[in-house]
Amino acid sequence: VSALALLALLVLPVLPGPATAAELPVIRERLDNGFTLLVRENPTAPVVAVSLFVRMGVRWETRENAGISNLLQAVIVKGTTRHSGGQIAEMIAGLGGKMSAAGDVDYSEIRGTALARFWRELLGLTAELALEPALAQGDVEVERDDLVTSIQKRRDNPTTRAFDTFFATLYGPHPYGLPNLGTPGSLARIDHAAIVAWYRAFYRPERMVLALSGQAPAGEVVAEIKRLFGGATGSGNDRPEPVLPRVAPASRRIVVEQPAQQAQILMGSLAPRVEDRDYAAVKVLSTVLGGGLAGRLFVELRDKRGLAYTAASYDDPLKDPGSLVLYLGTAPKNAVRAEQALAREIARIRSQPVGAAELERAKAYLLGSFAMDRRTNARQAWYLGFYESLGVGYDFPTGYRRAVEAVTVADVLRVAKTYLKPLTTVVLRPSKSR
Amino acid sequence: MRALRSLLLALLVLALDATAGAGQGLQRPERQVLPNGVVLIVQEHRASDAVALQLWLKVGGRDEATDELGLSHYLEHMLFKGTPTRPPGAIDRFVEGVGGQSNAYTSYDITHFDVLLPAGQVAAGIELLADIAVNASFDPKELDRERKVVLEEVRLVEDDPQQYLMRRLTELGFDATPYGRPILGTPKFIQALTREQLSRYYKKRYVPQNMVLVVVGAIDPAAVRPIVDRTFGRLTGEALPRPPIPPQPALTGGRTVDVPRPEKQAYLGLAWRAPSTSEPDVFAVDLMTNILGDQPTSRLPVVVRDTEGLVSQIKAGYLTRERGGLVVVTARLDAENLEAAEASVRNVIRRLQEDGVSEAERQRAIITIEASYAFDIETAEGLAEVYGQAETTSSLEEELNYLPRLRQVTAAEIQAAAKKYLTSDYARVRFRPEGAR
Repeated sequence: VSALALLALLVLPVLPGPATAAELPVIRERLDNGFTLLVRENPTAPVVAVSLFVRMGVRWETRENAGISNLLQAVIVKGTTRHSGGQIAEMIAGLGGKMSAAGDVDYSEIRGTALARFWRELLGLTAELALEPALAQGDVEVERDDLVTSIQKRRDNPTTRAFDTFFATLYGPHPYGLPNLGTPGSLARIDHAAIVAWYRAFYRPERMVLALSGQAPAGEVVAEIKRLFGGATGSGNDRPEPVLPRVAPASRRIVVEQPAQQAQILMGSLAPRVEDRDYAAVKVLSTVLGGGLAGRLFVELRDKRGLAYTAASYDDPLKDPGSLVLYLGTAPKNAVRAEQALAREIARIRSQPVGAAELERAKAYLLGSFAMDRRTNARQAWYLGFYESLGVGYDFPTGYRRAVEAVTVADVLRVAKTYLKPLTTVVLRPSKSR
Repeated sequence: MRALRSLLLALLVLALDATAGAGQGLQRPERQVLPNGVVLIVQEHRASDAVALQLWLKVGGRDEATDELGLSHYLEHMLFKGTPTRPPGAIDRFVEGVGGQSNAYTSYDITHFDVLLPAGQVAAGIELLADIAVNASFDPKELDRERKVVLEEVRLVEDDPQQYLMRRLTELGFDATPYGRPILGTPKFIQALTREQLSRYYKKRYVPQNMVLVVVGAIDPAAVRPIVDRTFGRLTGEALPRPPIPPQPALTGGRTVDVPRPEKQAYLGLAWRAPSTSEPDVFAVDLMTNILGDQPTSRLPVVVRDTEGLVSQIKAGYLTRERGGLVVVTARLDAENLEAAEASVRNVIRRLQEDGVSEAERQRAIITIEASYAFDIETAEGLAEVYGQAETTSSLEEELNYLPRLRQVTAAEIQAAAKKYLTSDYARVRFRPEGAR
């Protein structure tokens, strides 16, 4: 055990007044087999949350097997070599908890919550699902059918349909353009053997990060995680990173028609990666435009002109180029004017510097919402595990906060000119059938 | 959709007892009534550096006359729009300028306004809520702009099959009571609504005795009352009695509505008359609903979805109102399974009525409700919400006994509730795909 050379990192920020939960210390250890654990003890409420991240997702997929990570995640929680899916579900319900799993772009996650007094059982179940899944053939069939239904539902929903179309158009051949859920065609091609092979390739300790936050004794939690995951064997031969095609953005406009009450308008472009120097400035830019009720799109297009019901911006943090999407939901009769007005707002922010007060509002909103999003243990566990698995470290928020505070008016103008071009536009408008 | 939020207060008391020796325990909420009738509830809570400030009004859809449906909701939209000292946009700029969030919603029994702010902004936040509570400007330009927004919101509900299903189902299930009316109102009324109508309703209903202020967060409770005294404490006005609510229909003989919809999937909604928040059966019905379909391992998902494969999604919920209630079952499915799925739901109910529930199921349901509470009180606003809901639609005191009472419910009582409420007299709404596209 002494040879483990564990690195325990304790962060104790110096702050006035009684500590709030997000300021509590975190224990980080990387085990000999490459497995990383993060534990934050939080006494606020009698609950506990766990997130197990695996570096597996759309990023490693192709058009042929799109959706395989998410399908594996759906199957993995359906039973283990020791317990059936029904038994697992019963066990989770008995903890007053929830568990679920899904595949995302740069990672896949098994997440769970429980009443705090069941923290040990929650960790045990998480380990059992991740390390001893049954991956039964029948479950693959059932989950695939279920996912095909979900894909249909996404297509029926005007907003998700519009976003999926946008990402496919923006990213082209890059895997980020693939839908997380895959397509009915790609799912049909994924058989049981492919699922087992995908599991073996990615579920390795060196690709895993486990984060826990909640009302549980940190020392005992760390010991239990080591007992559960320390014996998992890594191959020492991690899968090489795929060589991904470069994204070549171009000015494009796509129109989709489908039955709906609202029209959807999306306009945007590529944005920097999380670790890039410009990341914080683009977050501020995104906030000036679409950050909540005081963002420009909301004030100018919704409040002042009544041209939209929803007006917001989206910018997912990603390993490869992210995207900045400006989004309007509007009445069909206003769609043309709303699109023109949105284009004018983009032209304005690319040519005129934002006001100093507007910049300060955007920063306060951005940092405030970031803090607000970490109010629950589930979100705290997610944030810890997410940044760690992305490779920027669980304490990324500390540096990020400083970077946001340092963003200037000139920075915003510069990144607006750099990143808000060329523009991809997707318009979803109601078809004539109703 | 979820069962009584307010019941959770009882669990809070248990949690307080459990943590009392740990030195980290929460304080009991302080409840005070100001001389003018405003109720103040305060509690320290350090989950994050935030304070939740919530203004609850005992005003909602049930207070509207039949020719003014949607007035409460429209009014709710206008309050954050400005007062004489806060021009349009100023409130949003303040709240977001400090990194906070604001929200508001309207139900049949209450109207709710909240801001979530950095804890240092507690005084500014209380001043803001007291200002909008009585000084809203109803700027004519803002009023007209908001009209488009509200109309859009009506359309949005119609676009979303799940939301629209609930609307049609409650309309059918609550029938002629105010709880069956569209809370957003009718487009016709919204188009014609005037500033005078809004202002008259506001002056009549937004009075101190209808107000509850809840303050929960990283604050010193002793510092709150003086701020409230110099703001809410100065408000005047007398509350009028609320309009009477006719008895909820028994749905004798059943009711059905079929709706053609653009979605490719069909939707099924069933609703039974159920007890209101003040009736003693509420405990047994809460547990019964949970056992039927509040979670993935409940009977309906296990039988109708997993075993028989008739639906892709199914759940049960208990809608409680101060003077009414419905147990609802909703499902998403392929249109050809509509009849078979409904028959299967009725079978599951029949088994519950004939064979009752196991002790394990009963225990599970109680743990689920306890957990639901525990996750609610994780956040300052969640805890404030529990307090505000209890104070406005039942009472803080009543709720303190909820969990002990819930734990006393026997398996036989749950079975009896199933027999009493889940009868063949129910409302049914079906959404059918409107042909191939």
